[in-house]
Amino acid sequence: MVVTDAYSPGEPTRFPILPERGRLSWFELVLLLICIGLAVANIPSSLRDVILLSFLFGGLALAWNIAGGYAGLISFGHAAFFGVGSYTSTILLVHYGITPWIGIWIGGAIAGLFGAVLALICARLRGPFFILSTLAFAEVVRIGALNWSSLTGGPEGLSIMPMPDPGSMVFASKATYAWLMLGYLVAVYAITKALESSRFGYYLFAIRDNEDAASAAGVNPLLGRTLAMALSAALTGVGGSLFAQYFLYLDPTYVISPELSFQFALLPAVGGLGTAIGPVLGSFLITPLSELLRSYFGNSAAGLHLVIYSLALVVVMLYFPSGLSGALSKLARWRPFS
Amino acid sequence: MSTLGQLIISGVLVGGIYALMSIGLTLIFGVLRIVNFAHGEFLMIAMYGAWAITRLLGLNPYIAAIAIVPAMFLFGAIVYRLIISPALDKPHLVVVFATMALSIFIQNAALMIMTADLLDVPPIFGRSLTIGPIYIKVELLLGFIITIFCTVGLQWMIRTTYLGKAIRATVQDGEAAMLMGIPVPRIFLITFAVGSALVGLAACVMMPLFSVFPTVGLNFVLIAFVIVVLGGMGSIEGALLGGICVGVVQSLSSYYVAPAFGQLFFFVLFLLVMIFRPNGLLGQKGAATVGMNE
Repeated sequence: MVVTDAYSPGEPTRFPILPERGRLSWFELVLLLICIGLAVANIPSSLRDVILLSFLFGGLALAWNIAGGYAGLISFGHAAFFGVGSYTSTILLVHYGITPWIGIWIGGAIAGLFGAVLALICARLRGPFFILSTLAFAEVVRIGALNWSSLTGGPEGLSIMPMPDPGSMVFASKATYAWLMLGYLVAVYAITKALESSRFGYYLFAIRDNEDAASAAGVNPLLGRTLAMALSAALTGVGGSLFAQYFLYLDPTYVISPELSFQFALLPAVGGLGTAIGPVLGSFLITPLSELLRSYFGNSAAGLHLVIYSLALVVVMLYFPSGLSGALSKLARWRPFS
Repeated sequence: MSTLGQLIISGVLVGGIYALMSIGLTLIFGVLRIVNFAHGEFLMIAMYGAWAITRLLGLNPYIAAIAIVPAMFLFGAIVYRLIISPALDKPHLVVVFATMALSIFIQNAALMIMTADLLDVPPIFGRSLTIGPIYIKVELLLGFIITIFCTVGLQWMIRTTYLGKAIRATVQDGEAAMLMGIPVPRIFLITFAVGSALVGLAACVMMPLFSVFPTVGLNFVLIAFVIVVLGGMGSIEGALLGGICVGVVQSLSSYYVAPAFGQLFFFVLFLLVMIFRPNGLLGQKGAATVGMNE
């Protein structure tokens, strides 16, 4: 397990410069201010897209990281939860006229339920078999969504009326969406930070690092894994609903695709698994890069961004297994003049 | 009754071909104790290779094996050198992410170069064999025979040759093997390359039966993992047994349960085996949990 937490004893400063487990730091505050600046600044619409998606995917990467980084449940099936969340809120809005302000919570809850089911299915599995089961689970959900046409619209997908109306969470200005996505990112970040210093968080670290020792010490591994997966899935589902409200169109071949699952795992892996700041940095680095590639090459090179991603991931994994946040904490320990 | 017989016979034969595809995976797992997530993509590359040789040179896929098998051996060796070997001494997650990324890389590179179209080769044998009321596709029978030859040959190699003994010693205790003068890194390299070459052979056998497209690997890799778990990690006869079981179940379920279920078959089967039989048919303890806790 890649653990990149730089705990330096003997420094009583309450407000460290660089991120540490369970404490807020100047780095995070400055980053938050920059994000707020980006949300309010008057910038061109295409750039706004990039910023907004970086926020959204930052939140999604953090949600993945709760299962993958903290509890050691590496999932390549999180697109299933993303899809369940986005479909739930959209179906509630389109078929039943229920506002997404309520729908996203229902979507999150159902996604969380799916997460718990997946964790129970995989109760006895570890390592490669766990990972493959998450993949297979997401494929089952995808094929299910494709074939249940009366509810999900099948291959044609679902559309939300593009009529600006705050009641149905459709806004005219992208700035509003930027605030929404930033709110999501900050909320998931706060949950992650709270988790890091909570008793439940320590249970998860214990289960991840040594399950036998954890259960000998009275931690219930199955319960911990199930709750961690459910929490992660629920937060991913909420992100999916927000995604649906922004794009106003759901296509089952995208929202429940293995590519998307891979992306959720990639961002924390590049940024640093099992840290709070890692997934955010990963998203801020990779999401703009991917949008840039997409707008530059368009559809002429389908799959090119994934080719580049996967190469980047191989290099990061082999040479910088602790990711960007690991580089950051190395920087913190760097004493050039001593 | 003859329908049932027909279904079982074709299930057994298809299962044999699935087994051939899984032997490489089980071999690599048994020796290196790592899982190659890009296994299905190795199969996909080799299938494209077999397709290209068949289409461009007008040869048949079985003859293409003469070129594909050594090419895949070399490819496996290169992947081992570039990705697997540097990851071996790192935390286990590194191998997982690195081979996963390799699989996505190959998949999307194939998508860019070959597009998402389904490609296949024209039928090789005009008609099926008939034994009483039962029809047997010649391609299936040939594939099954090749599988049996490979299984027996590989068993013989592992039992009697020096290389085989060195491999078994490495499996039993890598450090002791190293002290006895067995070049363990070289054994790893050869095993990985042989595993890849076997996938190349499987691809040539499968090309006349299945279409190839960039994501074909995902379906087959799940089957391969089911077979490896059912038969027991690292066991070659086990893979044959597991393959035949999977083949028969697939053939019966697609006829009796629902043909539309076919699309879901691989995934549901995988999940069911993982829930109910994670330790394999013969109950090898910890088969499905191994690979991360070391």
